[in-house]
Amino acid sequence: MRESDGPNHVDPLDLLRRFVPTPLKAAYRIGAIRVVVETNDFSLLPELPLDVTVNGPHQQTLQWKLIRDKDSQGRLEEPMLLTSGGLAVVGMGTGCLFGLDQERQELLGFIGAAIDARTYHEFLVPFFCRMTNEGVYGDPHSYLSEESTGASDA
Amino acid sequence: MSIGCHLFFEGIPGAVFRARVENIVTATFSFARQTLLFRTDFHLAGTRCFFSTNSQDLLQATKRWRAVTKSASTHSFEMEIITEPVVRFGDERSAHFRGLHHLVFAVLPPHGFVSFDLLRRRVRGVLTPAAADDDVFWNSLLLPITIGILGTTMGVAPLHCACLDRDGSALLVAGQSGAGKSTLTLALAQRGFALVSDDWTYISRDRLSLIAHGLLAPIKLLPDTIRFFPELRDFAPIRTLNGELAFEIDPQTMPGVTVKSISYPRWIFLLERTAAPGCHFIPCRPECVREFFERSAERLPREVPDAQMTRSSIIQELSEQPSWIVRSGEHPRNTAATISDFVLGASYARV
Repeated sequence: MRESDGPNHVDPLDLLRRFVPTPLKAAYRIGAIRVVVETNDFSLLPELPLDVTVNGPHQQTLQWKLIRDKDSQGRLEEPMLLTSGGLAVVGMGTGCLFGLDQERQELLGFIGAAIDARTYHEFLVPFFCRMTNEGVYGDPHSYLSEESTGASDA
Repeated sequence: MSIGCHLFFEGIPGAVFRARVENIVTATFSFARQTLLFRTDFHLAGTRCFFSTNSQDLLQATKRWRAVTKSASTHSFEMEIITEPVVRFGDERSAHFRGLHHLVFAVLPPHGFVSFDLLRRRVRGVLTPAAADDDVFWNSLLLPITIGILGTTMGVAPLHCACLDRDGSALLVAGQSGAGKSTLTLALAQRGFALVSDDWTYISRDRLSLIAHGLLAPIKLLPDTIRFFPELRDFAPIRTLNGELAFEIDPQTMPGVTVKSISYPRWIFLLERTAAPGCHFIPCRPECVREFFERSAERLPREVPDAQMTRSSIIQELSEQPSWIVRSGEHPRNTAATISDFVLGASYARV
């Protein structure tokens, strides 16, 4: 028997879309926080003040990595926020999924293809900004606190 | 922290409340020990799961999960599940997964939303109470996915192959999608091989050897498989969780099929379907096997470099097993018979 040159195979899988290139990068300022945004879609660059200062040693910096997910056609659903320690994860159906890791100072998320620019800039970006502020300075749960409408049992 | 949050954390037993963030009403779930009162732990594919929930029903359900097997592993992860009756999980019909860096998000209609943290080896999810009664959801979806996503961070390599056992020795069947792995797997199971896994096999390592684990998920067979297995007429194809129409057969309901949860890898067959009749065995070099498994595995994020090393070293060790490409244009039962004779002949030769 001769040895085979090898079986057929496909390229390594990226079913989770982890390795979508994010060539677009810009730095913004949210209050005293420097936010570096990486994305694969111009329309996901937020309309926030650009940060033109040199990153100082004591400056708080947080990274947003936002993927426009062309394979997700889902609309936004009511947000579900899962909080645990320094990690907050938000699911809005398949239209938007993201997580904020306070310890690693990064916000990582997917924005579905069906989410238009207005929804993104008027609805999601303020949400990200609020979570960013609290993620850098506050208790991981505190982005809920001041506007809490009160507790209700499951 | 607000008064509302103090109230929540100090005394209110519920794990969910609604809050307003930037004028968006948000169903908020806090995974705190005070709210997840029901706890247990179990072994799963060479790992140990510390499980906690707010649902007594769900805690009871863990006892029914067939996937639970004993092991001596010291690798562990946490799984925390809140059940919540009033949230909606969208109109999607298929499971939806996305991941960035160390985080993975899973929308799992109709039952829930789950996140995975590879760095901290934690799973957090919100599920409907009905999930507690849906063993298929756990055995076919959530538990395999959990090991699929977190396994490499715990010394377990999820590999896309079937696994069958003969007298404690495992035969792994791999191949491209459409090569006929599942039909061959069922045919081998009907020839006296015990079924360990059909689609994904989880390989761990103990001090002496590799161990192949299965989670006893249903065998998934495409509707055209009925031409090979007329007995499938007793079943109806269903829309599976990834949206495909397929038969999902509980192997334990198939006459003459036995199941096992672990075995020890000894042979590897890379299946290729051909149009020409016959069934041919072509020896396969270790580097070919290694390349196949490396390339058919999900890429891992650089945030967990040890996971990549673990998987590669397991694949490296696995690839040293005797391996063949099987090119077959035969009926799956004939291919199974040929492989069975081949394997048994090899066993006799060894004796």
